[in-house]
Amino acid sequence: MKDILTIIMRLTLSCMLAATVMGVAYLTTIKAKKHNEHVNEQKVRYALLGYSDQKPIPGSMALHSIYRYVVSDAGNQTIGYLLPGKEGFIFVTLDLEGKIVDTKVVKVEESSLAEREERDKIVRGIAGGKDVVFADQTIVVTDNGQRVAYLLDGKFTGFKTFIGVMLALDPQFSLLGLEILEHEEDPGLGAEIEQDFFKNQFKGKTFDTLKGMDVVKEPLPDKYFQALEGNIAEADAAAILKQYLEHDIYALTGATISSRSVNNGVKGIVKKFAYRLNILDAVLAEQKIAVAF
Amino acid sequence: MANDKTSMQLISRGILSENPIFKLALSMCPAVGISTTVMNGFMLGIAVLFVQVFSSVTISLFKNKIHPRIRIPSYTLTIATWVTVIDLALAAYMPEAYAKMGIFVKLIVAFAIITMRLEMFACKESVKDSFWDGLGMGLGFLVGMMVIGLVRELLGSGTILGYDILGFKPLLFFILPSAGFFVVGLMMAFFNWIEIAYKRAKGLK
Amino acid sequence: MMMHKQLKYWTLALLFSLLPLCLQAAELVSKQSFGAENEIVLTFAAAIDKNTAKNRASYKVFEESDPDILLEVKEAVVSQNGLQVSLLFTEPLNMAKSHVVSLRGEDGKELASLLVKKPYIGYLLSILISALLVNNFVFTKYLGLCVFFGTSKRKTTAKGMGVVFTIVMVASAIMSWFFYQFILIPYNLNFLQIVVFIGLVSLTVQAVDTVLRKVNPVLFNSFGVYLVLVIANCVIIAVPLIMASNNYNIIETFMLALGAGGGFLLALYLMSSVRERLDLANIPPTFKGLPIAFIVAGQFAMAFLGFSGLQLF
Repeated sequence: MKDILTIIMRLTLSCMLAATVMGVAYLTTIKAKKHNEHVNEQKVRYALLGYSDQKPIPGSMALHSIYRYVVSDAGNQTIGYLLPGKEGFIFVTLDLEGKIVDTKVVKVEESSLAEREERDKIVRGIAGGKDVVFADQTIVVTDNGQRVAYLLDGKFTGFKTFIGVMLALDPQFSLLGLEILEHEEDPGLGAEIEQDFFKNQFKGKTFDTLKGMDVVKEPLPDKYFQALEGNIAEADAAAILKQYLEHDIYALTGATISSRSVNNGVKGIVKKFAYRLNILDAVLAEQKIAVAF
Repeated sequence: MANDKTSMQLISRGILSENPIFKLALSMCPAVGISTTVMNGFMLGIAVLFVQVFSSVTISLFKNKIHPRIRIPSYTLTIATWVTVIDLALAAYMPEAYAKMGIFVKLIVAFAIITMRLEMFACKESVKDSFWDGLGMGLGFLVGMMVIGLVRELLGSGTILGYDILGFKPLLFFILPSAGFFVVGLMMAFFNWIEIAYKRAKGLK
Repeated sequence: MMMHKQLKYWTLALLFSLLPLCLQAAELVSKQSFGAENEIVLTFAAAIDKNTAKNRASYKVFEESDPDILLEVKEAVVSQNGLQVSLLFTEPLNMAKSHVVSLRGEDGKELASLLVKKPYIGYLLSILISALLVNNFVFTKYLGLCVFFGTSKRKTTAKGMGVVFTIVMVASAIMSWFFYQFILIPYNLNFLQIVVFIGLVSLTVQAVDTVLRKVNPVLFNSFGVYLVLVIANCVIIAVPLIMASNNYNIIETFMLALGAGGGFLLALYLMSSVRERLDLANIPPTFKGLPIAFIVAGQFAMAFLGFSGLQLF
């Protein structure tokens, strides 16, 4: 009996000790983790726009986030956009045909929207008890108030599991760049989608080219490969890249399905975005809603 | 049982004569799974080293307080605590390396090598010796992982630590997942061969 | 809160699964499914107005998550007897997502609105197959190798080990699921995953040990030895961790654990069959024992790479 008591006592003590150690570790790391995630995200965004630590982004440029929500209420669905206005934020609701339903001015700090949970709560408050589901986030990049690029997130099925990407588009919806954020493809085969010679093939494709773009199972020409990898002088590379600008994507050796899913995924994301943005812009212009971008 | 080895002997035992990967054949999973580059091997090795040293020291500190009947649960709790700590730390400060190692950092909790050292060494010896023993075993694991990583990275992608050495990719096969088994198997055979040759040479004398 | 949501979800799921049974006669459309890559096939319970069925404007189709983007219907082909309509789209459909089809009559009134998706059972089976073959825990995820090489010398031991593993794995995964959903997530204690899961695994092993000892001593004598080995194995702790990172529900977790256990059994059995033969072969002394076992495992791993991307459902 005494034995059991001492065992229980000691186990409780050691559990408490362990809990303290883990709790302290958690509290000390959580801030750094969030900060690092944020920094990393920012770095990817700037890299897609062509800026880095050596070449910092000019002060005239600004990034504005648009958050899209699907609002549903008793079988009736609408799309809600949370937009940065000239002052504060605006929540614009459109019906499925793209007609405006409602606009509301929202007074929140931009920092409170960065965290998804907090943002969802705010949007739920605006929607007034309706069911809201976060759909996606788009970033509009402006330079002196003029739009220069869009940054989109996206996720689609790859060969094994999901592939998460970030895209940069110019105002005409031509691709400025592609970054693979997460994937679980086979190393040495599908995982090569991370490589420059694959990703950079998407760079510069115009919206029209992109719409009909496919993958081809042909070996990647060596000159093109060197140009994509950035191994040759910039001027020469530009000429070579230009020559292949309207060409389909060369599939990775041994990973045609991964290549095809990236191609289709990117296509889908860009097409949907272009469709939605045109509708949103038309509404904003018609209703004379002043937004920050 | 008092320990009569010096700290240096304890370390070298972990790295050479009782190397956890090549000699004891314990904790093989990461050795095969994520040893595609030297860096991966190094990072996981560091994580294991950390957990091994801290667990050894913790158990050694409390060895008189642990009731023999709850020995194994105590070990598990200790290891799990330190694994959680390193897991959180890596996720926070080195997100990229952490993403590459994936689930294996969390799986350190089930590595036989750590429990074995606690059971066989740390629960009997002094704190100082346990520290050196843990360090030796951890380093042994680290070195093993790095050697496998070196072979696979050099033969698979022609680089070492990301620097291009060969300028071409000799055999893509070596970074394919299944090659881990071959490399470990061949290296074990290699060490066996040295041992056999050594014994034969000695026998002839 | 979480609990409430779960309950609601389950009740809804139950209702939906029962719905077709009760309402079959009343529904206008009795069956809907994906056809070829750009096709949705609808089967009607009774013949409907041909003009409506043929008119592509009477269909509105969108992906459930993107209700504002309508998919363009190129053509609606009505079968001879007027009971089946196949909708052809200008672009291939993304069949991983569920699609909503709404059918309107000439007067603009909605006749039917239905969800087209791949059958859920197919998804469950794909989790099972994936854990069993495509992502076999031993040959493509490289987990549980210590035990794998340790107990694959004889076929009988391999089978015993595999069965014990599967049982413990399923039991511990289901317990972990409950802990994860109802304690770790609601209280934001996700960082305690490792401690909680390893604790549950040890608990399961202890429980199986006690129960088996009392209920079936014969079985215990033959299987009891392996139970000790189970704790120090990464396969067993990997299942709850994967479950947590993929946010599976309970049936999916069960399938994953079953697949993982079955995969381990399969791997052990294959390996032991080879190793029994290897005993008779003439192997160079340097390769005797573990080295040759590793090389054989490498060959199996290469063979299993062939399952990569296998999609039956």
